[in-house]
Amino acid sequence: MKNLLALLFIIALAALLLYVAANMPPMGDPDNPTATHVIPRYLEGAEKETHTENVITGIILNYRGYDTMGEVTVIFSALAAVLAVLGRERRGRIHAYVDRSTVPSSVIVRTMVRFLVPLIVLFSVYTILHGEISPGGGFQGGAIIGGSMIVFTTIFGLYESSRRIPQKVRFPLEGSAVVTFFLVGVLGMVGGGNFLTYAWPRVAAGLQPALVTWLTVLVEIGIGLGGAMVLTSILFCMIREEEEIAVVA
Amino acid sequence: MGTALNLVFIALLVATALLAVFARDLLAAVIIFSVYSLIMALMWQRLQAPDLALTEAAVGAGVTTVLFVVTIFKTRRREEEEKE
Repeated sequence: MKNLLALLFIIALAALLLYVAANMPPMGDPDNPTATHVIPRYLEGAEKETHTENVITGIILNYRGYDTMGEVTVIFSALAAVLAVLGRERRGRIHAYVDRSTVPSSVIVRTMVRFLVPLIVLFSVYTILHGEISPGGGFQGGAIIGGSMIVFTTIFGLYESSRRIPQKVRFPLEGSAVVTFFLVGVLGMVGGGNFLTYAWPRVAAGLQPALVTWLTVLVEIGIGLGGAMVLTSILFCMIREEEEIAVVA
Repeated sequence: MGTALNLVFIALLVATALLAVFARDLLAAVIIFSVYSLIMALMWQRLQAPDLALTEAAVGAGVTTVLFVVTIFKTRRREEEEKE
């Protein structure tokens, strides 16, 4: 009876969703609601209003700067929640990390990881610094750094990787995304504009594009470092438990 | 050509989603889920959203998979049998 009700509910929901999907405006139609309200303003005014060379960067960091700042805060609070539940690994107590994987990583895997990790980090640096004028940026580059740290940690263990990025380096950098964004926002007010104004009105008009570029790159670096450190810290404090279990057993 | 490729991707998406839900071995479910993320990343690229594709490939296929695997290592690998 219960299963039948669930099935009926799912069929009704699927029918409703399919009906709605069938009535959605076709993709790429110039008369779409998405293409008639704010998008024309973004596409036509972005270069003049935000002085950025890439419209998407202009939208993410300028028109929707508050939105992006909120997202950065969400990532930081995710780390805060994980730390509140699991607790941070204690400094200098990670030597006892016991590798519990049944298959010890072979020389080939170790050599490959040693060779690949610097290249992955290099690519992420490119993603962050070039994100101002190409796809990618702080979030993506930070996630790629985090991914490279995860690869390194799974092969070489927590002890080796936490020696490379010790806690005293990670701890101040975890909040760097929020802090950089906020500082750049306040600097916009100091420069005579509103919060999160990149092109300061008090600066000569000829210097504004360069200023916007540097501030954008600064924000991207902050977001990238913050995201990478948050991901690494989450991984470390999830893996760290391993050691305590191993010590108790 | 483009439409056929899209259809293949969508079929793979649905298949991997179902397989990930029904897999009893949680490790297998996680790996299938990362395949789902990878196809999703290709889909974003085809929808001309390279930003999202990068994020999905790095976070969806990379980071979350490893976090799930770490979680499985700390708990149990098999899903418990239903008691009816």
